[in-house]
Amino acid sequence: MSIQICNFPFHPRFALQPRGPRTAARSRRVFASGSDQQQQLNLSVLRFTFGIPGLDESYLPRWIGYGFGSLILLNHFSASSPINQSQLRSEALGLSLAAFSIALPYFGKFLKGSEVEKRSLPEVGEQVFVISPSIGDFLKEDLAWGTYVLLRNTSTVAVMISLQGELCVRGYWNFPGQMSKAQLHDWFKRKVDEIGLADVKETLYFPQYAGSALSWDILPDGTRSVFVQPLVQNVESEKMDGFLLVASTAGYAYSDKDRAWIGAMADKFRG
Amino acid sequence: MEVRFITQIQVPANPNHRFSRPPLVPPRYIRASSSTSQEPKSYRGPKPSKNLVADFVSRNDDSVRSLPIYVGGASLLAVLFNRAVSGIAPVADASSSQSRADLLALGLAVTNLLTGLVWLSIRPKSITPVEPEGLDCNVLESHLPPSLVSELLWAWESLKAATCCKSLVIVYNGICLVQIGMAAESPEDSNKAVIVNTDKLMEGSVYQGVMKSKAQSYLANLSLYPGRSELPFLPANTQAVILQPLGDKGLAVIGGNTVRGFTSSDQAWISSIGEKLDATLGRCFINSAEISQEKDQ
Repeated sequence: MSIQICNFPFHPRFALQPRGPRTAARSRRVFASGSDQQQQLNLSVLRFTFGIPGLDESYLPRWIGYGFGSLILLNHFSASSPINQSQLRSEALGLSLAAFSIALPYFGKFLKGSEVEKRSLPEVGEQVFVISPSIGDFLKEDLAWGTYVLLRNTSTVAVMISLQGELCVRGYWNFPGQMSKAQLHDWFKRKVDEIGLADVKETLYFPQYAGSALSWDILPDGTRSVFVQPLVQNVESEKMDGFLLVASTAGYAYSDKDRAWIGAMADKFRG
Repeated sequence: MEVRFITQIQVPANPNHRFSRPPLVPPRYIRASSSTSQEPKSYRGPKPSKNLVADFVSRNDDSVRSLPIYVGGASLLAVLFNRAVSGIAPVADASSSQSRADLLALGLAVTNLLTGLVWLSIRPKSITPVEPEGLDCNVLESHLPPSLVSELLWAWESLKAATCCKSLVIVYNGICLVQIGMAAESPEDSNKAVIVNTDKLMEGSVYQGVMKSKAQSYLANLSLYPGRSELPFLPANTQAVILQPLGDKGLAVIGGNTVRGFTSSDQAWISSIGEKLDATLGRCFINSAEISQEKDQ
């Protein structure tokens, strides 16, 4: 895993950190007067669980649906005597119940308080950190901090900030290897121009990137959520100053709160 | 020796100021050449499609949670009814293929019932926000460099937009830099807000505790906390408070209007913003100290 870093002086705290599992930084040690879980959930004793670690019980209705549905079909086709009406009725009922059970975990994902999927680091692809050389030092430091914080606090694996055409790119991207930093920056700029991202007028959120019609080849393999936030220069003129793009390998990765915070980060680079 | 750095801060003469336009804008007169077009191409990608299921489920959260219970219960009754109507005794054995089909359907109905019960049990408790009593104030220490002011205002705007924060007070180096948002009314003059008494705050146990532990402190339900009296400038019914140390020289007091209203994601973001503010403030105050030292010499 090679890391390419633009060499310029900025606050060492915001330098590229080695990618490990998402561990809590020292400064995030908090004293909460309740446990973190109780902020959001009101768990009761009733839980549908076998207590097997690593087994996600929220998908249990789906497996039961598949299992019992196939048993109903097996029963139907292995019946020796002719099947009467009432059996057909109860089989139909059973099959529709099985279909409903299979769909249940999908509905459950959108309920409040459901668990958010954790991101996984892409296996293929290298980390990169490129900042355009024509950006001032203070702005470079702000960009370094901003991208670092986005990578740390959300489930983002790739972030790109564009300010009036100049880019800051960080994280896992799908780029051809063996390029110098300047060439890499120009390559990213060309790709962004092809997609026409600089012209995006409103926020775009693709929670299921794989299923949509998108295919931006600069994004790393395994990207499942993409969020693009344009940076507005002045509210009156509606001219876009640039954009902020974040991508994650988890589906439905950006909740309303995450998107509000990303919008706040984008405001920092406005104007 | 108490040095009031604020009065000696001067806007640095030649800042590599990030508001000065960096040389980013490419020259526009190259427009005629077709090889390098400078206007951004229009965005040709697809717009995100609306997910009807997701929208429906998020809007009707409560009814969707109890839906599997109704489905499971109804199918349970339907199976028994089917048996009764077709004249077969409701005996639950696996002898005939009819019974097996019925048993499987019953099993699925029970699964749905239990899933519905689980969904109901993990419903997050909805807590209503409490409107803070007090008045709106916007107090910024004077003579701060514009870049610092804009950074502090940005911090306030993002906290206001993304969390349940309603009041923000930043104290650094013994000076109250910012008091924005809702503040308690002063008892003497009901049009003015309570001014932050930084000396008293810094001697209090709240500040000392946070500085000693060097970590963020989240008071999820402020009414249960005895140190409440040391924060008189916050509205009396502030529900939750986050105390974020800014390095070892300052503190940010962030008040919210909902009990347990700051999620763990909010806490992580607030501590990142605290680090950034500490870096900016530290640089700002060191610059001013150097300038004042040069002037004294």
